[in-house]
Amino acid sequence: MAHRSMNSKISYKEVNEDVLSLITRSGPKYYILLVLVASLAIGLFFLPWVYQIYVGQGVSGLNVPNVWGIYLVNFVFWVGIAHAGTLISAMLYITKTPWRRSIARGAESMTLFALIIVTTFIFIHMGRPWNLYWPFPYPNQRGIWTSFQSPVMFDVIAISTYFTSSAVFLYFGMIPDFAALRHTATGWRKKLYTAMALGWRGTDKEWHFHAKASMFFAAFIMPLVVSVHTIVSWDFALSVVPGYSKTVFAPYFVTGALLSGFSGVILMVTLLRGAVPFVKKYITIDHFDKIGLFIIVLSLIWSYLTSMEIFTGIYADTPLEWASIKHKIFESPYFELFSLMIVCNTLVPLLMIIRKIRRTPAYMFIACIFIIIGMWLERYLIVPNALSRKFLPFMWHDYSPTWVEASITAGALFFFITMFLIYIKIAPVISIYEIKEDIGLPMKREHK
Amino acid sequence: MSDAVLGIYKYVDLVADAADDLISAGHEVEVIFPIPVGHGIDHILPKKKNPIKYFTLFGGLSGLIFGTLFVLLTATLYPLPRGGRPLFPLSPTFIASYEFTILFGVLMTFAGFLIMMYIKRTKRDIDLPELSIDSFGLLVENLGSHALADVEKTLKDCGAVEVRRL
Repeated sequence: MAHRSMNSKISYKEVNEDVLSLITRSGPKYYILLVLVASLAIGLFFLPWVYQIYVGQGVSGLNVPNVWGIYLVNFVFWVGIAHAGTLISAMLYITKTPWRRSIARGAESMTLFALIIVTTFIFIHMGRPWNLYWPFPYPNQRGIWTSFQSPVMFDVIAISTYFTSSAVFLYFGMIPDFAALRHTATGWRKKLYTAMALGWRGTDKEWHFHAKASMFFAAFIMPLVVSVHTIVSWDFALSVVPGYSKTVFAPYFVTGALLSGFSGVILMVTLLRGAVPFVKKYITIDHFDKIGLFIIVLSLIWSYLTSMEIFTGIYADTPLEWASIKHKIFESPYFELFSLMIVCNTLVPLLMIIRKIRRTPAYMFIACIFIIIGMWLERYLIVPNALSRKFLPFMWHDYSPTWVEASITAGALFFFITMFLIYIKIAPVISIYEIKEDIGLPMKREHK
Repeated sequence: MSDAVLGIYKYVDLVADAADDLISAGHEVEVIFPIPVGHGIDHILPKKKNPIKYFTLFGGLSGLIFGTLFVLLTATLYPLPRGGRPLFPLSPTFIASYEFTILFGVLMTFAGFLIMMYIKRTKRDIDLPELSIDSFGLLVENLGSHALADVEKTLKDCGAVEVRRL
């Protein structure tokens, strides 16, 4: 069956003008919002981090045995947010799904900024970010060499690869758009776009190579996305700590990442539609509907894997495993957090079965906020929770995040939004040529 | 003296008609589009090869070899003996080689794209604003003065809104 374009009533010229105006026209509201969000990022994220560096890691709630706290919760959470972007783009590109075109670019940029946050949280957790070069393997006189047998080193390799590949994938897709914008942009943007276009002229040969290379990128990115969160899950699953050592963690983390990532995309596109009215022409209710269907499926898989994690632990019935599960599910405050997680990740997404909810951006926005909260809680219930009931009871110690950790956690969101607000004024957040593809080819004979 | 002609069109099927006529007359044509037209004109233009796949294959294989050697050779040069663990571990070697296969594959694909984009590329100025918005260009090069007029006529007859000598 032929696909009916979502954007069939829009002209090519209108697309160029809209995307350029999204970049160049910024009213006072934009600058007020940017200053506000950037101030919150500095105040809540960077200043507490500087304070932590100055005073020491003791300002955090980390202790023995809880040596992994909220910073690594955030690390895993933001890796999850990073997942949907590139996956939406790559998976839907390979399957030639037309509705991806309007949202793919925004989702890909989400990936990149989320990965910047991910990297930052590694530095924050390290406590001494100036020792960053320690994990890099090169001959040195310190007598230190990296152990490739450590899952943490898997992370370094996987996340570096993911960051580089995602950046290349994002930039590569933008080359024709930079070429289109360089003609109409002025000032520094014209120079920037001319340089970024790499001499693109839109010949048939260039488009042919672009399509082929895009297909290769998509084919590389899909297994990469799965491998990255699998490797992140192995930070925990390859240990022997009760509550961490689970074979189900790899698919569990990947599914959770996609669930939070798709929800993140809904939040992003809803805010973009609200802030820039003409974006509604390109990102339509149909996009909410289709992503909603993805979310339902992912939520069901996630719920199944959650129940498997719990049931297999109960069935094992070892004292160590049982202590971990009891702490996670039945003891306050984790009982309340676990219940909230189930409400957010299992019950709320089920509401999307109702078509009206899927097709109402406000409802989807609220539902996705719940899912994001639920997915953050899932990571919180795994990372510090398991460590606080590690082996012998005399080692047991609870973990509570301090104001510094809470502030950096909240500030990360504003840091992310700041980057996105700057990005939308530099690069096309909606793909010009892909929207035009969605509109269709202009044919003289059909108009007769 | 100019020896090339660029026809500018508003409709893809008209470009396809013109390209068909000119290719039948023995000319080599270059088309310029604001979007990937693909099936709209692919059946008329000469079939294109895809040399990028060789770059991709080379990148993937070199990444695989690099990742494997990266772990194994460093384990040889800087041994980290740990109780109960092999000096040359299988799983970390697999993970590093897997990730480097992808990384090098992506980077070499990008490099391959850039190289192929610049190879045998016309040096003429065909970078026109309208061709990146809503118009479609058809370029014919290396024409003699007599052929120039013929090609211009063909382009106009096929519905070009503008014909330029380059």
